[in-house]
Amino acid sequence: MSLMEEIIAAVDEMPPFPQVVQRAMQELADPAYEVSGLVDILKVDQAVTANILKLCNSAYFGLPRKVSSLKEAVVYLGADQLRQLLVSGAASKIYEKPNEGYAVFADELWRHALATAVMAQVLRRHLRLKLDDNMVFTAALLHDVGKVVLSAFVIDKYRAIESLVEGGECSFQEAEKEVLGFDHAEIGGKIAEKWEFPPEIIAAIAFHHEPSRASKELRLLTEVVALANNLAVMVGYGTGVDGLACRGHDLLLKKLNIVEKDLEGIVLLFQIEMEKTCDIAGLGES
Amino acid sequence: MSLVTVGIADLKVSNNPEDTLVTYSLGSCIGLAVYDPVAKIGGMLHYMLPDSSINQEKAEKNPAMFANKGIPLLFKQCYSLGADKKRMIIKVAGGSQIMDDAGTFNIGKRNYAILRKMFWKNNVMIDGEDIGGNCNRTMYMQIDDGKINLKISKKGMVEL
Repeated sequence: MSLMEEIIAAVDEMPPFPQVVQRAMQELADPAYEVSGLVDILKVDQAVTANILKLCNSAYFGLPRKVSSLKEAVVYLGADQLRQLLVSGAASKIYEKPNEGYAVFADELWRHALATAVMAQVLRRHLRLKLDDNMVFTAALLHDVGKVVLSAFVIDKYRAIESLVEGGECSFQEAEKEVLGFDHAEIGGKIAEKWEFPPEIIAAIAFHHEPSRASKELRLLTEVVALANNLAVMVGYGTGVDGLACRGHDLLLKKLNIVEKDLEGIVLLFQIEMEKTCDIAGLGES
Repeated sequence: MSLVTVGIADLKVSNNPEDTLVTYSLGSCIGLAVYDPVAKIGGMLHYMLPDSSINQEKAEKNPAMFANKGIPLLFKQCYSLGADKKRMIIKVAGGSQIMDDAGTFNIGKRNYAILRKMFWKNNVMIDGEDIGGNCNRTMYMQIDDGKINLKISKKGMVEL
């Protein structure tokens, strides 16, 4: 089997994106969703139910009494919180598999994914971009999912990739492409296709290192994810073996006339949000 | 030995010889380590941004986020444990950049520039530094001897 065939086989073996989460997301897409219908979908998954109750009763919300029914928690959290909880719950399981190829620490890929998702949301709000917040969150959170599959293959080829990056001319993703024939973004796009995600999310994952390759109507989300990835890497959230060897994509900044001081303001807003998110996700500073 | 983590936008000082201060994942952020070898007092700061004028409220709440607030506070906290300014050994790491020819993402450079400016104004000399490039760094400081080790992506462990 050629390397490409092996990797395609590995993509096929990826578990599906959890059905409960996908069905709940479909339900939540309708602004007039029925709480009882949603509860029926969620209650079949004990882990999901437990997570919803845990979040609802966390110190972050500071409720005066304990919420013990799923229905009450669903009403209290509301659609946006629920969507984020469901997607991040599913994504954390996918990212937290062993991935020795890329990560320096066990939860490094997950921290980086979460930081990119928080950064993308900050960009969307701060720059008033006409994008759906949940789409932004989901695409940014899953942008590196290809690394989960590629990880095993990178270990063998790591020296070759590293020596290309060391020259300083080549980003880690470009080196991957040179050595393996494809990169983690492309593989991520294939996984998102397999999961039947909307075309915007597939493009954002597949082209987060080359946003100009996304077709025009899908490009804004791709540019946001590319920029959020850049900024999360820059600040140091969850950089693994690739360090900061990542090419900057400032198209969006130029288009919106963002200058240095604005960028500092964005980093600041990000840090405030990220601290809250880490509290909720139970990720301590490390 | 106990490992004391200095988070992002955080500072810690110690006079416990058992402690090793550590800060992880320095990208564009700067890790500043200061040490008095006689009093065996050390401190470490991990700041994110050069200047707090962008948000005074946050600067009040978390001065360690900004160079202009965090650096003086780091020294002050070491002095309050008994460190002496004249003996301080100063080491700096971080200030990396992603690959960006246009210089749009240069917060790392600005983080380093303000530190140099503040030190120059206050006659403070830097005794060792590892700055810039596109690697990420983890910085360790042993309180018993002030030794600084850096774990650098692509390079591994080096002493600063």
